[in-house]
Amino acid sequence: MAQQENLLEVVGLKKTYPNGVKALKGVSFNVKKGEFLVIIGLSGSGKSTMLRCLNRLNDPDLDTVKIQFEGVNYAAADITSAQVMGLRARIGMVFQHFNLIDRHSVLSNVLMGGLSRNSILKSLFGIWSAEEKNRALQLLDLVGIREKAYIRAGQLSGGQQQRVAIARALNQNPKLLLADEPVASLDPATCHTVMDYLQKVNRELGVTIICNLHFLSLVRQYASRVIALKAGEIIYDGSPDQIDDQWFKKIFGESAKDVHIR
Amino acid sequence: MKNFNIRKRLLDGLSFGFLLATAYFSIFMKTRQELEAGIFEASLMAFLFFAMGALASLLLDRSGVQTLGGQIFRSSQIRDPQEATPWHTTFWGLQLIVTFAVLVASGIFVTEVSIRELMSEDGFQGAVRIFKGITSPNFEILPKGILAIIETIFIALISTVFAVPVAFLLAFFSAKNLTRGSFKGAAVYTLLRSLSNMTRSIEPIIWAIIFSVWVGIGPFAGALSLMLHSIASLTKQYSEIIECVDDGPIEGIRSTGAGTVQVVWFAVVPQIILPYVSFTIYRWDINVRMATVIGLVGGGGIGQLLMQYQGLAKWPEVGCLVLLITIVVWSMDAASSYIREALK
Repeated sequence: MAQQENLLEVVGLKKTYPNGVKALKGVSFNVKKGEFLVIIGLSGSGKSTMLRCLNRLNDPDLDTVKIQFEGVNYAAADITSAQVMGLRARIGMVFQHFNLIDRHSVLSNVLMGGLSRNSILKSLFGIWSAEEKNRALQLLDLVGIREKAYIRAGQLSGGQQQRVAIARALNQNPKLLLADEPVASLDPATCHTVMDYLQKVNRELGVTIICNLHFLSLVRQYASRVIALKAGEIIYDGSPDQIDDQWFKKIFGESAKDVHIR
Repeated sequence: MKNFNIRKRLLDGLSFGFLLATAYFSIFMKTRQELEAGIFEASLMAFLFFAMGALASLLLDRSGVQTLGGQIFRSSQIRDPQEATPWHTTFWGLQLIVTFAVLVASGIFVTEVSIRELMSEDGFQGAVRIFKGITSPNFEILPKGILAIIETIFIALISTVFAVPVAFLLAFFSAKNLTRGSFKGAAVYTLLRSLSNMTRSIEPIIWAIIFSVWVGIGPFAGALSLMLHSIASLTKQYSEIIECVDDGPIEGIRSTGAGTVQVVWFAVVPQIILPYVSFTIYRWDINVRMATVIGLVGGGGIGQLLMQYQGLAKWPEVGCLVLLITIVVWSMDAASSYIREALK
């Protein structure tokens, strides 16, 4: 591919929680367009916090230097809440526990991905244009559950719910998709289905993906690049193939064993 | 770990003090007249006994004896090493048995429980007369009764309907998860919670008496008192629902770039709407039952009618009204539980 530009530039990202825990101690990295970046690390290493800082679900510390997305530094002190909402609208997010609205239909959940581009009044009355509906149905087609469109989201299985969540995020028409442990609460077989859909989104729609994972076997299979976090700092940044046993022990500790998911 | 030192002493002080006081008063101040005459001395003695009990508890604790207070409020980390001892042979077990026995004995004395009165021929005949009257209802007053019970149902409806929006608003300010964080929020939370607790602790029947003086005897006074009580109860119940809201969907919607109003509408409301409706219907159901009682003190509706006939000792008429109340309350109860079940 030709010279790729940076979609996201992070410099000196710090996050201290009110109880004094320093979750991130100045993390810096760039993300190029089209990458499938996977973040690995033990629980508590700051993976989740980092992802949530990128779309400002968590506020980074004030002395964070830069979270630059499409030319705007969202770590700047004078950023407004409207700008933050605009940032979130352009970044999709998928969660470990899916975070769907269980009582609403699958279709309605996917439509909610378009809330930011529809007027408040219209959305409160549930008025969606035919265009929006078609779009949502097409996205459901993409993740292979169009036939479930009118079923309550809460009645689907975990893997299906995660696919609805992916469709909701895609409905934002995002440049970047954040996935926070998307398969951690799924069984091994479903894991691969969901990861395959993320890969499809990455390859076919060209959406850049940053994904937290804790299974190394999945990392080798799906990632184009890996960042490892330990105690709030980056200790590895590079290709997934170069993570050998030594690196593995460094990242996960001496006593850890690699678990394979097939 | 919390150490409940004060609670331990309070409970033991009450237990020991009660035993001492019972012994003292049964010897020195036997009759009500004596107690009333020497009320100052009596309360002083009662307080003294309580203090002695608390002191005894402290001393026993120091010498390693597990008292009842110490047993109940023990901190979870420190376990009694002799867990295997049967409880009734321990000191606290004995203390529990003796305190409970003396409590029951005093209770029987104070409430004037008397088998002789229960068995007396005259009294029993009177009760039979009333019972016979009630079980042969006089249906001539049925139209009057039906009108009155419609009034009662509407008293309950109006008090619920007007209480809901007020409680809806107040609930957000008395939900811990929303008010936590700022000093102002915490102050509003504490104020609202204590206000609603106080309002709820005063029975609607007392409020009805107050309001019947204020706006005059009738259904309006009843509705006002029920409304006040409903606001307090619903605020508490609504705010507890808000406190249980799952953060996940809220973050899910926030992450799409939706505004605050949209987040509340799409992520919070779906989670609270059903419990809200359920609690509101249940409140109406409770209010119908309460409205009949409220009528007894001049709050209008069927209760007021019941009071009139009862005052005139017209038992067959009372029987008709009681039957009517039973039918309405039972069907309201059934309807409300069916609806709430369907909403789950």
